[in-house]
Amino acid sequence: MKKIWTGFLFVILLTAAQFLPAGLLAAEGGKEQLTYRLKWLFNVSVMGDLYAGEMGFFEGANLDVTVKEGGPERDAIRELELGYADFGVASADQVIRALSKGSPVVVLAQLFQVNPLQWIYRPDRVEITQVKDLKAKTVGVTFGGNDETIMRTLLASQGLSEGDVRIYSVRYDYTPFYRRKADLWPVYVNSQGPIISWKLKRAGERVAFFDPSAHGVKFVANSVVTSVRMVREHPDTVKRFMQALLQGWEAAFKPENSKAALEVLSKYDRDTPRPILEKQLAMTRKLVKPADSVDIGTFDREAWQQTERIMLEQQQIKAPVGVDKVLIQF
Amino acid sequence: MLPRRIYQFLIIFLLGIAVLFAVKYLFGLSDYVIPSPADLRDTLAAVYKHYGADVASTLSVAIIGQVVSIFLALMVGILGRQTTWFGSFIKVAAYNVQAYPIVAIAPIIFILFGDGFFSRLLIAAMICYFPILLSVLGIMSEPVKEIEHFYRVTGRMRWQLEVKIRAFENLNKLTTVISGSATLAMAGTIVAEFIAANAGIGYSIRIALYQSDLSKILVALFLIGITLAVYQGLLEAAGRMIGKGVTVTR
Amino acid sequence: MALSCNHIFFQYPGASTEVFQGLSFSVKQPGFNALFGPSGVGKTSLAKIIVGEITGYSGKVNADGMTRLLYSYNLERLPDWSSVGRHLDKITPDSKEEHKEALVEVFGMTDYMGLRFSQLSLGQQNRINLMRYLLQDFELLIMDESLANVDEMTRESIILKIKAMFPDRYFLYISHNFVEVSKFCREIVVVRGPLKQPQTLSLTGIDLKSHQSVDRDRLEQTMLEIMNAA
Repeated sequence: MKKIWTGFLFVILLTAAQFLPAGLLAAEGGKEQLTYRLKWLFNVSVMGDLYAGEMGFFEGANLDVTVKEGGPERDAIRELELGYADFGVASADQVIRALSKGSPVVVLAQLFQVNPLQWIYRPDRVEITQVKDLKAKTVGVTFGGNDETIMRTLLASQGLSEGDVRIYSVRYDYTPFYRRKADLWPVYVNSQGPIISWKLKRAGERVAFFDPSAHGVKFVANSVVTSVRMVREHPDTVKRFMQALLQGWEAAFKPENSKAALEVLSKYDRDTPRPILEKQLAMTRKLVKPADSVDIGTFDREAWQQTERIMLEQQQIKAPVGVDKVLIQF
Repeated sequence: MLPRRIYQFLIIFLLGIAVLFAVKYLFGLSDYVIPSPADLRDTLAAVYKHYGADVASTLSVAIIGQVVSIFLALMVGILGRQTTWFGSFIKVAAYNVQAYPIVAIAPIIFILFGDGFFSRLLIAAMICYFPILLSVLGIMSEPVKEIEHFYRVTGRMRWQLEVKIRAFENLNKLTTVISGSATLAMAGTIVAEFIAANAGIGYSIRIALYQSDLSKILVALFLIGITLAVYQGLLEAAGRMIGKGVTVTR
Repeated sequence: MALSCNHIFFQYPGASTEVFQGLSFSVKQPGFNALFGPSGVGKTSLAKIIVGEITGYSGKVNADGMTRLLYSYNLERLPDWSSVGRHLDKITPDSKEEHKEALVEVFGMTDYMGLRFSQLSLGQQNRINLMRYLLQDFELLIMDESLANVDEMTRESIILKIKAMFPDRYFLYISHNFVEVSKFCREIVVVRGPLKQPQTLSLTGIDLKSHQSVDRDRLEQTMLEIMNAA
């Protein structure tokens, strides 16, 4: 009987230990151990994160970082609060939602200057140069997803209502777009874009992308986040982590490093053929570093404020959260 | 029995919520990680109608799916009861289909049948038919010798009579499995909706997940649980009534 | 028409010992005959070999001129979805309606025809089961403990009625009741263990008919013979 209780206590302690900050629990060889939870699976969108890890940028900053894959059921902000992760990647809407619910989260860098979430279409079938061209078209939208928020904002910005377009509910695959049941289909332009373009090109079809940011809707995407406590209690760790991370991102997109970057990427994303990876990498560069003068990680504060405004208008949050205050450049 | 099922469910659900709240306040977690009671109440008030309709839609698909799967299982079970080549072929096919994870088959189903009602139905039926099939196969391939003997030796045995005898002799087993499979039908429908449909509570859960809204998910779980408790309670009551009907008219 | 078994060898698949090693017997005349022997000696197996429900034996079963051989036993049940009366109606050929009514009366089942099988007592259950076999076309009917749990008086009147109604049929009555077998059966085939040779012995019973009275000495004599044979 006693044994059972001892075992029980052990399990409780073990469970409790899970709630302690993961990285600071133990240090190995003097290096600080950190856990970094990504937003999505290993692919080109986390190029810089992988590069920083593989090419020794974290080690150079005396950090031992475990980079963990994300996924649809993962939420980096929740993991920060629960202590499963020390740093993470979250989209701006996640950050704003978390803030509105009182989560102690801060944003350390904005990884994507341009949101990769765009709409693919066939220019030979439909011509979309302005938002008004969407009228009477069949537009794919993931209900509940960011693309829904963005599309609503786009339509509202030109005085269009939802009745002016035909909404097609998006699932996980592109079949309806391939079968021409929808004119526009939401894709991540840097990761899915090259794959779909390649497939349609083989079928002799041309594709183009409709970019909401070109039409005034700047909805911020992936950003690096951590907890208020981390910033307050370990500012030095945060500083070293961010420096190493952003150096990794910058290095990954330097033209002279493209071969090394491809090596790293193909190690983690084995299913995508090399020529596609190359295209993905080039596409991603345009989104994270639109110009040489722009440092990766720079905050587009105006875009953040617009994102908050949009969410407020669409009643995704009840009151303003002042997201500007939690954007902290280290 | 029915009220007992409901309050048993309520106890379990409230216990679960209590544990969540305990964790929340013990570790000082924000409403983003675990919603506050007020949050939960507001969400319930805001979405219960909409979610209630979704659960009803899911339940209706699940019920039809269950009926379909009962028929399917009976058919396969009856065909597969024979120890012939065809019988074993049917069995192998039925077992194989079950071996594939539904998430792998679902895309094919959605491509073939679209994301409407039929796909949800098919997936629900596929998930819940197997346990029924197993018990039907077990029942149908097990002779009730002491009843069948007379009909066999006097040349009166037809397959309909054989099926009738074996089903009747195992009525309790059958009703238990059928009421148990209600849960699976519901789970199957929700999975289908979650993967790819554009209606039902599974679909709403997916949207809530996109929005990281745990309170909506908790409300959805509550509604699913209570609906399932009622449905299963009714099925059990019906099963008992059939059983009683048999003994009363005896 | 006669029934005989010659040099039957039989062993259940997977069993280590043989049930029958060269078993032979014959019953030359129709009537109420018995298959007698201690438990486990293989009476039921022999019965099933005779009617063809067991195959895989060697030797020969001769049932010259008989095409319909039936085997009934006391654990059989009728389906419970309708009354035993309805079941009986369903399996009674039109030509045997009169038979049915006579049997229902003699078997003492008149009051129970509206009940379902599970509502009957064990004795009633056995009677209704036997009745439905008697209503079929047959030349040979093996009754394996078919009157178990029926009281002695009813049992005797049933046996006497069967003998009167079906004088030209073969019956093989399997029972452990010395008195009954001695009293009512004409030929008594005693099946003995596989180690005893010959494996069967044929004795003659009293073959009592309706309105006859039994000779006590002869009865005792027959019973003793059976006991010694087994």
